Amino acid sequence: MALTLMKGSEAIAEAAIRAGARFFFGYPITPQTEIPEYMSARMPEVGGCFLQAESEVAAINMVYGAAGTGARVITSSSSPGVSLKQEGISYCAGAQLPCVILNVMRGGPGLGNIQASQGDYFQGVKGGGNGDYHLLTYAPSSVQEAIDIMMFAFDKAEKYRMPVLFLADGIIAQMMEPVEMPEMVDYKVDPEKKPWACTGWKPGDDPAKRGVINSIYIDTESLSVHNAKLQAVYAEARKNEQMWENYKTDDAEFIITAFGTVARVAKTVVDQMRAEGVKAGLFRPISVWPFPYDALREAVLRDGVKGVLDVEVNEGQMLEDVKLAIEGGKPVKFFGHLGSQFPTTAEIKSEILKMKEGK
Amino acid sequence: MKKMIVLIGNYGSGKTELALNFAFKAAERGERTELIDLDMVNTFFRLTERGRLARLREIRVVSPNYASSGIESLSVPAEVQSAFAMDWDTVVFDVGGDAVGSTALGRYHQDFMELEPGALEVLNVVNIRRPLAGTVEKIMHLQEEMQIHGRLKITGMINNTNLAQMSSPAELRDGYEMIREVSEKTGVPVAYTSGKKALLDQFLAEGHDPRYIGTPFPIDTYMQRDWDSWVKGLGGPSEQVLFESAGGWGPNERKKWERDSLTAQET
Repeated sequence: MALTLMKGSEAIAEAAIRAGARFFFGYPITPQTEIPEYMSARMPEVGGCFLQAESEVAAINMVYGAAGTGARVITSSSSPGVSLKQEGISYCAGAQLPCVILNVMRGGPGLGNIQASQGDYFQGVKGGGNGDYHLLTYAPSSVQEAIDIMMFAFDKAEKYRMPVLFLADGIIAQMMEPVEMPEMVDYKVDPEKKPWACTGWKPGDDPAKRGVINSIYIDTESLSVHNAKLQAVYAEARKNEQMWENYKTDDAEFIITAFGTVARVAKTVVDQMRAEGVKAGLFRPISVWPFPYDALREAVLRDGVKGVLDVEVNEGQMLEDVKLAIEGGKPVKFFGHLGSQFPTTAEIKSEILKMKEGK
Repeated sequence: MKKMIVLIGNYGSGKTELALNFAFKAAERGERTELIDLDMVNTFFRLTERGRLARLREIRVVSPNYASSGIESLSVPAEVQSAFAMDWDTVVFDVGGDAVGSTALGRYHQDFMELEPGALEVLNVVNIRRPLAGTVEKIMHLQEEMQIHGRLKITGMINNTNLAQMSSPAELRDGYEMIREVSEKTGVPVAYTSGKKALLDQFLAEGHDPRYIGTPFPIDTYMQRDWDSWVKGLGGPSEQVLFESAGGWGPNERKKWERDSLTAQET
């Protein structure tokens, strides 16, 4: 199939449509406004619905409503906008509604800035809203990977009946890359496969087929049962859905951990350092919830590995999961920038050299 | 005679990279060169981020107010007038993408009209690997729209068909075929065919009709980023790290910018 040159936001939006999304609700915010812009032109072409909501809060609640009918629904925003959505996201998780939420991360806290950042890792994987819930969370590292993940995101969301979150730093949405766009998936709501969906029950119909979308369980007993059900789903997802990439970690002395765009800078570092005789490697989580703890532990807890350098564009958020995985088995250092400045190859190299010299 | 090159085209067609190349080549020839960032649409990855590379070549750079400062509400600086008022050998305009980007040119209509005949080249940069310029009809439609919004007649097209890091001569060849058809239908000539030298040479060796190639224009890439060497499915180390900071707006970037703007004020 022919490659095209696409901007990340256009590609992600098109991939969502090809994966069967027919409802988009959102609100503009940099650096992801190109996603609603693209959707506004494209959704009518495929018989879908684009709606610019009056706010992010309204948009996520529209997602809640549309997802309740079993349709494939998507919303997108950037960090401060995703903060606004958190209540709705928690409701979607509580009501077990499959949907896809895109966070194109920019600088924070608060309004922060409009440059790319990775500051919402905690928000995404440690629960931005209330209650005991998780989102299947993916951190794509290239435009093509974002497309590939989008093509299975709705399937996963529906399999586990939980929202999927894309944690993409702003660069992924803004960069332009050659990509291969998959064919359109022919998706139709099948009430047999989604017996929970509200597809038009009316008085006189079989009461057992009446869908109720709800996240309120008033008495302690039923809330406890509901939560146990959710936790069982999360346990299953933890078991099946971890994704990661090992890049030259087999014989590495120093392993970099990084996600998203930073991992690409790190890959260049690995190759440059190997050319200079330093055995570096990269471990890149692709799913950040569930975090690939075992795979990272396996990559790092070998003789030969002298240390781990975690690199992020934040104050060291994934660092906590990296440390949890390694459990003190090897020294872990952190390097990162705040304020949306991306670490450069030269900076990462110098950090590894410092570790090598035992500093 | 003052020469003016105005680069318009669909979003992501490669105008900025070409603007830098046109300006740098003019400066290498010893010409007094001005480079105008007139992209009023795009916030990220813009010419102004490479302003330092231009200034090192003694090229004067004019940027919209607040460009690359993390603010999206750009405004056109009065300084753009220096393109017309001052005595340059070459002025290159890097204009925003699509018709909406071309709108920024309309305000200078009178100034452009007063140039000597033949001094102005308005070039439509075409990359048919971009979905919005992927068919003859789309290219013609956009060409028409950009002329209306920019109040300028397009004098030529540039075949800049590429897939960034994954480009091959096939890109230029497919671009050639499609742009040839556009040229035959609209009468707008193909002024240049551009690409990295090795790819361009391979394409030229295939012996296509020179009327639809125009002047071959080999380019270097200056908009390269630290992460650009890793496209999924592609290996290989980074070609060259050209810039210390990759697109962010950190303290070093700010210092650099302040230093640059001070220098700009001094001149």
